[in-house]
Amino acid sequence: MELFFLFLLIVLMATALGFGYPVAFALPGASIITLVLAGVSGYLLTGDQGAFFSQGTAWTWLSSGNANLRGTYWEPERDTLIAIPLFIFMGIMLQRSKIAEDLLLTMANLFGPVRGGLGISVVFVGALLAATTGIVGATVVAMGLISLPAMLRNNYSQSLATGTIAASGTLGQIIPPSIVLIILADQLASAADQGSSIRKALHKQTTGEISMPSAFDVTSTSAGEMFLGAFIPGIVLVGLYMLYILVFAFLKPSAAPAVPYTGKYNRAFARKVFLSLVPPLLLIFLVLGSIMSGIATVNQAGAIGAAGALVMSGYRLTEGQKNSYYPAILALVSLFSIGFILANFDTNIKGMDTNRDQLGVALAVISTIGLVISLIWSGYRAFKIENTLNGVMMETAKTTSLVFIILLGAAILTAAFRAFGGEHLVKEFLDGLAGGFWSKFIIVMAVIFVLGFFLDFIEIAVVVVPIVAPILLADPGANVTAVWLGVMIGLNIQTSFLTPPFGFALFYLRGIAPAAVKTINMYKGVIPFIGLQIFAMVIVATSPSLVNYLPNRVALLSENSPPPRNPQLAYCVDQYVSNEIKANGDIIISGVEAARSIDLSILPNKIAKNTAKSFDNVSMAIEQLRSAEMISVKLKEASELFRPIHKSVRSTERNIRRHDAEIKNLNADIEDLEEGMSPSYYKEKITELEKEKKLLIKSIPVEWSDKLADFRALQAKEKSAYQQYTKYAQSAYQPIAEINLILEATTDFNMLRDDLMSSKAQVTNNEPADMVDPLNELGKRFSKVAGANNIKSAISKARRALKSRTPNKEKAQKELDKAISAYQKQEEWRTRGETYILPNLSKYESTMRKTIGIRDQAKLTKKQALFVAKCQSGYRDVSLNF
Amino acid sequence: MASTTVQSENGLFSNPLFIRSLGWSNLWVMFAYLFNNFATFWGGLPGASFQSGTIGVLQMMLYPAAVFLAVTLTFNSPKTTLRQDSKRISNMNAFVIRAAFWMVVLLGCVDSIIAFLRVEDMLNNIIGETMGKNLGRSQFRGPYVHFPLMIIGVLLATRTKTLGFHWLALLILIGELLIVIFRFIFSYEQAFMSDLVRFWYGALFLFASAHTLLEEGHVRVDIVYAGLKEKSKGRVNAIGTISLGITLCWMIILTGMAQKTSIINSPILNFETTQSGFGLYLKYMMAGFLGIFAVSMMIQFVSYLMAAVADYRGEGGKYIPTGSGAH
Repeated sequence: MELFFLFLLIVLMATALGFGYPVAFALPGASIITLVLAGVSGYLLTGDQGAFFSQGTAWTWLSSGNANLRGTYWEPERDTLIAIPLFIFMGIMLQRSKIAEDLLLTMANLFGPVRGGLGISVVFVGALLAATTGIVGATVVAMGLISLPAMLRNNYSQSLATGTIAASGTLGQIIPPSIVLIILADQLASAADQGSSIRKALHKQTTGEISMPSAFDVTSTSAGEMFLGAFIPGIVLVGLYMLYILVFAFLKPSAAPAVPYTGKYNRAFARKVFLSLVPPLLLIFLVLGSIMSGIATVNQAGAIGAAGALVMSGYRLTEGQKNSYYPAILALVSLFSIGFILANFDTNIKGMDTNRDQLGVALAVISTIGLVISLIWSGYRAFKIENTLNGVMMETAKTTSLVFIILLGAAILTAAFRAFGGEHLVKEFLDGLAGGFWSKFIIVMAVIFVLGFFLDFIEIAVVVVPIVAPILLADPGANVTAVWLGVMIGLNIQTSFLTPPFGFALFYLRGIAPAAVKTINMYKGVIPFIGLQIFAMVIVATSPSLVNYLPNRVALLSENSPPPRNPQLAYCVDQYVSNEIKANGDIIISGVEAARSIDLSILPNKIAKNTAKSFDNVSMAIEQLRSAEMISVKLKEASELFRPIHKSVRSTERNIRRHDAEIKNLNADIEDLEEGMSPSYYKEKITELEKEKKLLIKSIPVEWSDKLADFRALQAKEKSAYQQYTKYAQSAYQPIAEINLILEATTDFNMLRDDLMSSKAQVTNNEPADMVDPLNELGKRFSKVAGANNIKSAISKARRALKSRTPNKEKAQKELDKAISAYQKQEEWRTRGETYILPNLSKYESTMRKTIGIRDQAKLTKKQALFVAKCQSGYRDVSLNF
Repeated sequence: MASTTVQSENGLFSNPLFIRSLGWSNLWVMFAYLFNNFATFWGGLPGASFQSGTIGVLQMMLYPAAVFLAVTLTFNSPKTTLRQDSKRISNMNAFVIRAAFWMVVLLGCVDSIIAFLRVEDMLNNIIGETMGKNLGRSQFRGPYVHFPLMIIGVLLATRTKTLGFHWLALLILIGELLIVIFRFIFSYEQAFMSDLVRFWYGALFLFASAHTLLEEGHVRVDIVYAGLKEKSKGRVNAIGTISLGITLCWMIILTGMAQKTSIINSPILNFETTQSGFGLYLKYMMAGFLGIFAVSMMIQFVSYLMAAVADYRGEGGKYIPTGSGAH
């Protein structure tokens, strides 16, 4: 019965959508009706409200749907969605104040004289400014209204003109900062969580281990990463479009003629080009740059973008007036002075210690006031002139609302889909496909492509992605990242929008194109662009680094990058070290030889011994890394032999599990049967399934368990070999790093001498209670000096002796004596060590740090980070670990 | 437009009196439910049922009374057209939304000031220690700060004409921009700042929904719809509104308010706040947003239903959206 209601749900939904009732209410409405019907009929037919649900009752699912609604804004975790109204505000402000139009017209003037130049301008502007509305219709309409008449007037062929406009109108969807990417990121982040738990369950099932190593985990995403990931593919697409138009214009000049610019190329023209081109470009770069460099969150970048658009509208709306540019100039001056102040002063408002700090904060306040005045001034103009601000706010509110209400509706639909076991069904179906990840992927993409004929981007992102993405992400076969999946889905939907006869973009363009433009010409026009889209998808599918590299690079170079010892980086970090050793192994070995000649006898016995031992560990670590790599090569060879049988057996096992589940269901059905009804039909079916199951079990080759055990043993051997290497590497590097730190701290150590020496006399002269704080302070300062721990603890003991209820001066002095004698001992070897050992040792340490000692660094160096980012960007098949 | 009833039509939508009664009954029953909900969980009444004494039965009787009232009022004004009623209800909704808008603006501003003074330890100097401590308790801040502000919000709504909610778009921008300025220039960041932006952002898209419906801004799959005649469009909208739209509103209201622990009631009854302690104390209000969304959509849907039936019957005077809302 669940199946029936699932079917009913889909039929109701399709009917409601098909007749054109607003999507935002058709989705939840159909879900609620089905849930209620299932509950009521379950109660009437079987007496159990939950009979027709995979679990729970109608009420629980409705409540959970309602909780999903609230979840969109209830917790800070989903705060990136706040960026949506901000980016919409920015986009609509740029459109309403005619900045977008100026940009297009100026670009056309500038590039028009080149063959195909007008078409290229359309692509460029589409890529730059269509980004923000997120609704394909709006962008295609806006682009079409501005550029189609211009293109036709200048004798562009109908098909090229319409094709270019339709394609550029959809382009904005995947070029950041597009709100669709934000929504995709939001959905994919939760899909990645689910995918991760599916994969963990699979790992537990196949290996029997309780916890899965984090190296095998699903890679999640965020809006910022999504922007970064889509950036290069977006540029590739823009490049392909432009190249196509250029080639087309070259081959067939009559279809895309040069548009001679009738005005003069004088200073006024240059000024116009500068003013309409540079500010929007600057704004986009500011927004994207602040996200990409990791300085600002997506929301903050959105606010910056919206504010920038407001300032720009301030001068655009008053064009021609004398004081038109005053607020913009004020904003620029304020920004530059803020930049200058930030570079030269510490403006932390909570930490104004010195006069200089206060001066910095005061200057910053003045500049900020300047900035705020310019914003208010611009805002006032936008408010007064043509009611622009009001219109923009209203449009923003309505567009935001329509996007989010769909999001809410889909949240209820997801609950209903789950209630009837739909998610499970889809998973079963996809898992049952032969051919692993790629066949699943292609099926899903085909479904999305077809859905793209009927549903807009946002609907697909919120309805389909939560259902299929966890399954695709969980598959260890290609181990794709969430960002990559998001970009591929984005490209796919975009292609779907262009495809005749149902493509969305074509509908909208048809709506505004003059009747003289033939529909068949529009279809002809988009076909090459569809080809380009498919080509781009192939490129992105075959080289996932195009998507993954940029997010990885930014993450690894950012301030809070993961430390090199993070297990998820282990594979690539080891790769880096092994490459380095292969290239510069001699330098390391000779460095060790040179270091051996350092006279360590100055140092205390224990430290000297540890340090000396570490030298041997270097060669052992290198040796161990080599042998670990040999095992890796062997494992790789074994993998190739093992993969086919692994794949077939795992698939058989999945099949067996399906049989088990079905048998369980049938047994449950027998239990539910009303009295007097014969269970023979079910029983027969069960026997049949049991028979099939036995056959399946038999079909597993006999040698499977041995082969599996051998393979697992080899995997374990590889793992332990690398672990052993890590251990050697650490004991080769850590002692050196430690003694290096101790000797480097000698200057700090010496500075504490006088305070320590005088402390004893002070204890004699002062009240015990008065000395507690100074001693505490002294201890703290010693604790900051590497290697001075024993002195610190002696001081602490002294302090405790004074602090106790019966203060004991003598004991305190005794402890201080101990501290002083320890100090003197250290002072002696530290001073000599600093001059005789430290120079050579620190040289040695710095050669070691980049290779053997890589894991003990706080963060990767730039060179290392770039290597690891690249290494992490490809596909890595981890399926044999499952 | 006089009601030029097309008598030849049969079926559900042939009689405007029926549709008007249906719409008004729906609204009055909803108001009765909201009243009962308030009376039960705040006023301590037993709740509508036949098992809990006279008051319970009286509460129960509110529902048939609401239907009776709606039908009587409708039949007493047979001259009112569907268009007139639709417009009246829509205007009523505009007032609800405007009041809600003023409330969230006042609440957001005042609560942010309190949160700022608290986190900077200045509150006690201004209003004394006891009062400062009290303001740190959401059970105090709710009834003694928030509730009066809400009343002021309603009063402001009666005095102003703006639609209101769209200003939230600008307020969100200002809030986020302040975060940017304070974070990047003055290295100052507090939990209440992002709480404020989230508070207004939730309000923005939930409050804007009703007006978006009025302006035909909600996206349709218009492959079929665009080619339909006015009459068929009216039918699609009327049937869809009854079966899908109003259903959604009832579902949110019922699952959100049925019990003390339901997801709208429970945060409000507990004055739930965010974990951070020095953030805004308005999280419970955000649960209420969902209720305002459902109520405002219900009112708007009833108005929309009447308009759709009027379209179906070919009555003139159709409201044409002025904005460029239709994408």
